[in-house]
Amino acid sequence: MRSPIRYSLAFLSLLTLDGCWKPYPPTPALDSDTYRPIYASAATVRTIQTLGPQPYRKVGKIYVKDQYLLINDIGTGIHVVDNRDPANPVQLSFISIPGNQEMAVRDSLLYADNTTDLVTISLTNPRQPRLVNRLASVFPQQNFPDLTNIRFACPDPSQGVVVGWEKAPVDNPQCFR
Amino acid sequence: MNRFVTLLLLTGLLSCGKSDSPTPGNGVGGSTARFTLAGTTLYTLSDQYLQTYDLRTGTPVQGPKQQLGLGLETLFPYGQHLFVGTRTGMFILSLAQPRAPKQVGYYSHMLSCDPVVVQGSYAYVTLRSGTTCRSQGPSSLDIIDISIIEQPKLVKSYPMTSPHGLGVYGTTLFVGEGDKGLRIMDISNPLNAKTVQYLTDVKSYDVIPLSNVLIVTGPDGVYQYSYADPTQLKLLSKISLTP
Repeated sequence: MRSPIRYSLAFLSLLTLDGCWKPYPPTPALDSDTYRPIYASAATVRTIQTLGPQPYRKVGKIYVKDQYLLINDIGTGIHVVDNRDPANPVQLSFISIPGNQEMAVRDSLLYADNTTDLVTISLTNPRQPRLVNRLASVFPQQNFPDLTNIRFACPDPSQGVVVGWEKAPVDNPQCFR
Repeated sequence: MNRFVTLLLLTGLLSCGKSDSPTPGNGVGGSTARFTLAGTTLYTLSDQYLQTYDLRTGTPVQGPKQQLGLGLETLFPYGQHLFVGTRTGMFILSLAQPRAPKQVGYYSHMLSCDPVVVQGSYAYVTLRSGTTCRSQGPSSLDIIDISIIEQPKLVKSYPMTSPHGLGVYGTTLFVGEGDKGLRIMDISNPLNAKTVQYLTDVKSYDVIPLSNVLIVTGPDGVYQYSYADPTQLKLLSKISLTP
């Protein structure tokens, strides 16, 4: 009954109880940076909206198509900028895309990640970008920050979908990577 | 004559009302991109997988995905190949069949953060050490000879400070040194590359060098420079953040 195999199995199952456990990363130091999830409700997370120019908050990746410069605001969307004159870039619009970090443009179509979905947005009128297609659930739900050697508050699905992470003090964070 | 002028005016007014839609073709991303295009295919990296999407109709059609391993970080298409930067090395995939990329080469390096860009017969890989990259080793810029694509070979390594994204245009290589600044290198001879300018007043995570303008993104905003003289970058504009 109490064979070593049984013990190791019990031990292994304990390890897997913590969804954050990975065989690979070493435990970060206790004083490493801590992060907490930014949640959105399942209903709002799939709402793509075109807004007028918005303030730049936390810029991420950039992309160039013709005279247009696209600037990702990490986790919230994409600024569309007329960059015909690089000395005077002019904001045209902001596409609100919850969870967005990545983008690519072919012809007049913008492909972007909207948490687990791939959305296609028409830039035919760069002042009024328009959602034209959604491929649902093609990316894994990323339940951890895009960083390593950090600790973070484990996402709580009852609070909504994780659309981003913010560096913040977290009391005794249970997840790490 | 009057009629002609009216016609001209009308034409002017009409073309004025025409929207500035983007032209056909693919755009350009930075070296830290996880989405990239080659021809009519979109490639995305997530988790341990490289995924393809057929864009021939405009509407993406999900193709096969393949597992490449842990720590996939960046995608860079060059010619008939796709270069994938990972925590442990660089994959080279052939795009002869665009929707079924096939691994043809691999360059292994120490554990670090490492975007890759390519020009001619060289791949430029930055390796960043530090805690978030789980690397103890020194940071460097590795020059890899890929003239034999199946056998990428390290030919030179230059010490770097805190390299993030990088970009190459002509004989100039730009390295975003994170909080430490922006490095500009002359790579006319990749085996004897020289830092020709180092800006310490700009924090840079990634760069896109266009033919006449360098676009830099970082924690403080987006900067644009003229690099007509690579030893003397000229700031054209800065997009600042609103706290």
